[in-house]
This record gives sequence, C-alpha cells and structure tokens, in this order.
Amino acid sequence: MTSVEMKFFVVALVSCSLATAGYLLSLVVKKVRLAKISTWILAAGFIGLTLNLFWGGIHSEGWSSFGSRYFLSIYAWVIACIYLGLQFRTKTRTLGAFIAPCILMFLIAAAGQETDKNLVPPQWQGWLTSLHLALAIAGEGLFVLASAAGAMFLIQNRLLKHKKPGPLGRLLPSLGDLDRINHLGLLWGFPLLTVGIIGGVIYAVFVWGGQWLADPKVLWSLAIWMVNGFLLHQRLAIGWKGSRMAALSFAGLIVFLCSALLIRFCLATVHDFI
Amino acid sequence: MNHMIVLVGLNHKTAPLAVREKLFAGCREQENFLADLLGIDGVREILYLFTCNRVELLASIDETPETMKMLRSFLARFGGLTAEEEASCLYVYHDDAAIKHLFRVTSSLDSMVMGEAQILGQVKEAYRKALAQNATGIALNRLMHRAFRTAKRVRTETAIAANPVSVSFAAVELAKKIFGTLDGKKTLVIGAGEMAELTCTHLVGNGAEDVTVANRSQAQAEMLAEKYRGKAVSLTSLDAELCEADIVISSTGAPSYVVTGDMVRRCLRKRKNRLLFLIDIAVPRDIDPAVDGIENVYLYNIDHLQDIVDENMKNRRREGLKAEQIVGEEVAQYVSWLKELEAVPTIVSLRSKAETIVRTELEKASGWMDQMENGNREKVEALVNGIVNKILHAPVTVMKEESADFDSQSIVAAARQLFRLDD
Repeated sequence: MTSVEMKFFVVALVSCSLATAGYLLSLVVKKVRLAKISTWILAAGFIGLTLNLFWGGIHSEGWSSFGSRYFLSIYAWVIACIYLGLQFRTKTRTLGAFIAPCILMFLIAAAGQETDKNLVPPQWQGWLTSLHLALAIAGEGLFVLASAAGAMFLIQNRLLKHKKPGPLGRLLPSLGDLDRINHLGLLWGFPLLTVGIIGGVIYAVFVWGGQWLADPKVLWSLAIWMVNGFLLHQRLAIGWKGSRMAALSFAGLIVFLCSALLIRFCLATVHDFI
Repeated sequence: MNHMIVLVGLNHKTAPLAVREKLFAGCREQENFLADLLGIDGVREILYLFTCNRVELLASIDETPETMKMLRSFLARFGGLTAEEEASCLYVYHDDAAIKHLFRVTSSLDSMVMGEAQILGQVKEAYRKALAQNATGIALNRLMHRAFRTAKRVRTETAIAANPVSVSFAAVELAKKIFGTLDGKKTLVIGAGEMAELTCTHLVGNGAEDVTVANRSQAQAEMLAEKYRGKAVSLTSLDAELCEADIVISSTGAPSYVVTGDMVRRCLRKRKNRLLFLIDIAVPRDIDPAVDGIENVYLYNIDHLQDIVDENMKNRRREGLKAEQIVGEEVAQYVSWLKELEAVPTIVSLRSKAETIVRTELEKASGWMDQMENGNREKVEALVNGIVNKILHAPVTVMKEESADFDSQSIVAAARQLFRLDD
C-alpha cells in the first residue's frame, strides 16, 4: 500500500471508529444530535475509504494485487454507501449504531490483512470473477443492512408493546421506516446476490468442473441466498411484515456471521482471499 | 434620575379566571393603550402582554414610587379591579426580579403547561406592537432580545418542549413512532366522543387522511365524517373497515368490547400484516386487551396514554431545573450590562469635558506654538492628548468595573462631583 493510500485508509478507520463511538453514545445519552454528527463523521470516513480504494485501483495491476484487505474494505464501503444513501430518504440515523460497528469490524479486519497476501490467483482473474465478487459483496452488504434494521425493529417493537416508548423509543426510528429498510435490503440484495452467484457458478463450471460444489464458502453463500430468497418470497407473496420478518432476518445474520467466521478460520476454502 | 425595569401584572397563578377575563377585556377595549401608558409621568419605555393566562406591563421607568404606583392603579382601573382584587392578584417586580420573570415567561417556565410553544410567539407579537409605536428604547429593546435569546437557549439546550403532555398529542407521537409518517394513513373513528374527535383532528393535522366514522347514531357519524371529508358507516360494517384502517380510535359508551381479538385476527390476512395502531379512549374499554397480543398490532388505552403523559410531564419538570439555570445566567449577564449602562453618560461627559479643556488650552497657546518648527506642534498636541488619556484611564476603568459588579450610583456620583460634570 502506498503512503497516500495508507493515509486515506487511516482517515476511514479513525472516522469510522469515532462514528461508531458517537452512535453508541447517542443511544446511551439518548441524544439524536450525536447520531447526526456521527453520520457526518461516517460520511467523511466513507470519502476516505472511497479515495483509498480509488487510489488502490488506479495504482494496481488489476485483481492480482487486490488481496483480502481490499475485499474487506469493499464490504465496508458497500454497507456505508447504502446506509448513507438511505439517510437522504429516511430519518433513521440511529440505525448507524448497528451499521457503524459492522463497517468498523470489516475495516479492522482489513487493517490486519496484508495487501500482497491471499490474492485472487492470476489464473482466476477476469471480468466474470470481478462481477461475481462485486455483486456478491453488494448483495451480502444489503442483507446486513436489512438485518440491522430488523434488530432495531425488535427493540422498538418491544418498547411499544410494553407501553414504554421512553427516551430510547423516541431515539430509535419508527417501525414503519425500519420495516421499509428491511424490505429494501431484501428486495435489492437478493437479485444482486443471485446474479453474483450465477456469475461465480458459470466461471467455476468452466474452470473447476465439479469440485466447486463442495466448497464451504459456496455452500454458505447458497444457504444465505436460499434463506433470503425464502424471506423475500414470504414478504412479497404471503405478506409477512414487521416483527416476524425482523426476527428472522436478524437470526439469519447471527447464524451466517458465526458460520462465516467458522469457515474463514477453521475450514479450507477456495475463497480464502475473503 | 436613575431608571428601573418594572413588571406589573397578573397571571393564572395569582388571579382566578373571572378577574383575568375582566382585566383582559378592559385593557383590550382601549384603543390608545400604549400611548396612554407612555403618558404616565416617569414612564420611559413600555410594552404590554395580553394572553388568556396573563396580562402584564413591562416598563423602563424613572425610579420613583409614584410611577410604579400609577402603573399599578392604571391596570387596576382599566380592568375594573376592586381594591381587594388589586391587592391579592396584581404583582409588581422590579429590576432583577422583573427581568427574571420576563425571561421565565418567554421561556415558557411560567406557563400553565410548562414548555408550551405559543407564549414565545405572543411575547414577540407584544414586542412588535410596541416597536411599531416607538414605545421601546435601548433598555427594553436589549431586554427583549435577551429574553428571546434565553427562550431559544432553553428550547435548544433542554428537552423542555420535547415530549407531548396531552393525551391526544401523545397518541399522535405514538402513531409517528409506529408508522414513521402519517401521510396517507387511513383512520377509523369508532364512536363520536369529544376526545376521539380531538385525537382525530391532531392525526389529520399531521397527515393522516381518509377518515371513516363508525357510530351507533348515523346522523352523528355523518356530522363528524363531514368535518374530515370522510365517510360515515354503521357499527355493523366494523369488520370490513378494520381490514382497511391503519389507525383506529375508539370512544363509544358501549358496555362491552366493540372490537374483539377475533375480529382483528380475522382481518389479518386481508391486511397483509400491515401495522395497526388502536387507541382506546373509552371507559369501560371498547377494545379487547387480547388484541395487544397479536403480531404487528399496537393497542393503547387511556391509562397507557396518561402514563406516557405523566412521564413526559415529569421529564419537563426535570428539564425545567436546567432551564432555570439558563435563565439565571442570562439575567446575570443582562443586569451586568444594564449596570454598565448607568456609568456610560458620566464617562461620555468626562471625556467630552477633558477634550474641551485640551482644545481651549491649545488654542490659548497657539500664539507661541505657531513659531515652532514644522512637526513639533503636532508632537506637543499628541503629548497633551496622551497625558489626558492616561489620567482619565483609571477613573473610567473603575467606573466600568464597579458598575458591572456593584451598584454604581455612589461611584458615578463621586466622579460627577470631583470633575464638576453637572456645572
């Protein structure tokens, strides 16, 4: 990583840490102004990360120099981008208390990775791999957002059902807004992940033959795809809404995060660059 | 002569409604009220504030007991107050106490419902009227701006006006917490009680539309529906209406449940699990409490709403303590400025006298100074001015400092005597 790139990355990491602290503090002291300030800090971090990725992109030699740090950074970038984009349409700033820690987690993981290690092997590079990775990351980022909204929905729902909206209830976004974010996360995340997976499958069929099916990361992605597909179907066709959807998408996120860590650190996978 | 800030009036805490009404009506009928007030001997600046809860005069007057007494009797005379009412209801504050009272009133700390927003607008309107008739000057202009600043600080630095303290507003806030925006939300009103009507009005005012009124008496339902340009239905079509509604307000006098758990469960599929907010204001209750156990359905009865209001009221009182601190700070700053103001005319006179002496003496010496070389005359003039400024620096500074912290009258009087400023 060049020194300029490193500076941008540090800006992103520091801003995101401050934003996370600000968001969490806003929940503790129950002041929405703190969450608003944190959103601006996060936006600054997002710009830093964008510049970092852009700088890395124009100074790299294609995917061969894109290691796990970049992929983890792209995860963080996608989630931040979607969250900040949402801020233009909804007043859901405290959602950042759930989103910012996720972004920070990816950035910390990225900081711990070497750029020139775990590369996408040169023989696998190509537009199809790029498409596969970009869409899969965007799709999974949207699922994270949907699940974070789900988690907040559950808290707000509990407060309202127990007739104690109180200061925390006033601080959290409305149930309607959170349900809408969950809906949008699933609605946009599912087709992106679908096309991403199809891209990966087409590529794998031609390059690896049949071996790819046994890869734990592939099975994990398929499971995410199926569960979210099921949730989206229930939402659109059956009309599930509100607390049930929130609980299921949040439970889905916890299970998948745990299994992702298990796969990453305990099992061998061809996707070991992510 | 020294001047003072004085506030004369009565409010909901000191006077019963009948007295307030009498005074309000009496004063409002006066066409040249401000002009009459300005005509009182010793009144320099004045404004009046009339609201349903208070009638107050705020004035900057010469410091004489007569002027204060005349203001008081002026108010009592126009309000037709008896001597007894005048003694028990009217209050008179002066200087620090008057400023503090004004700041508390403007910040809504003295209102019947602490934190209500209307009072600031009413005070601004009172000031605007006085300004239009040139009834205010430097003291009141500065005071009023400081009062508005205090009110703004109280609003932004405390949560005094953050949460609703009426049942109908609490219901609207809850609806917003459930739906986000109320735009386009369908409202079903069951029964045509006053409370339901008030809540419905607030909901509609916040964006809810498509009001349906279901009532036993069709005529009453139609009357209420017409008010919101909605439709009236009979209680028998409640099942169908429940499937459509987002917000339900119920306040019938029915002895048993009008909306049961089964009715809500039956319409869940048709509603596609949309969120449903039910407000039960009736006693005995109209809506089966079992409804609250259903997913995505939120039921609040009158007790739940009252609990929220009580909690909010408690919070407002807590925030009120913070607001009192802000008022205290602002009063101290204003009083310090006001005291400084007392020394200003003396400082101006002192400087002007010194300048006159310098000018006269330089003119006297112009005969021999004209013979001086070029540039030397300016040097001598600068030297003289410098010496005078140095001599005046200490008394001016002391007067400013003393007047900001203490009563400046004695030191100002001493300065006037020592430098013979009144000759």
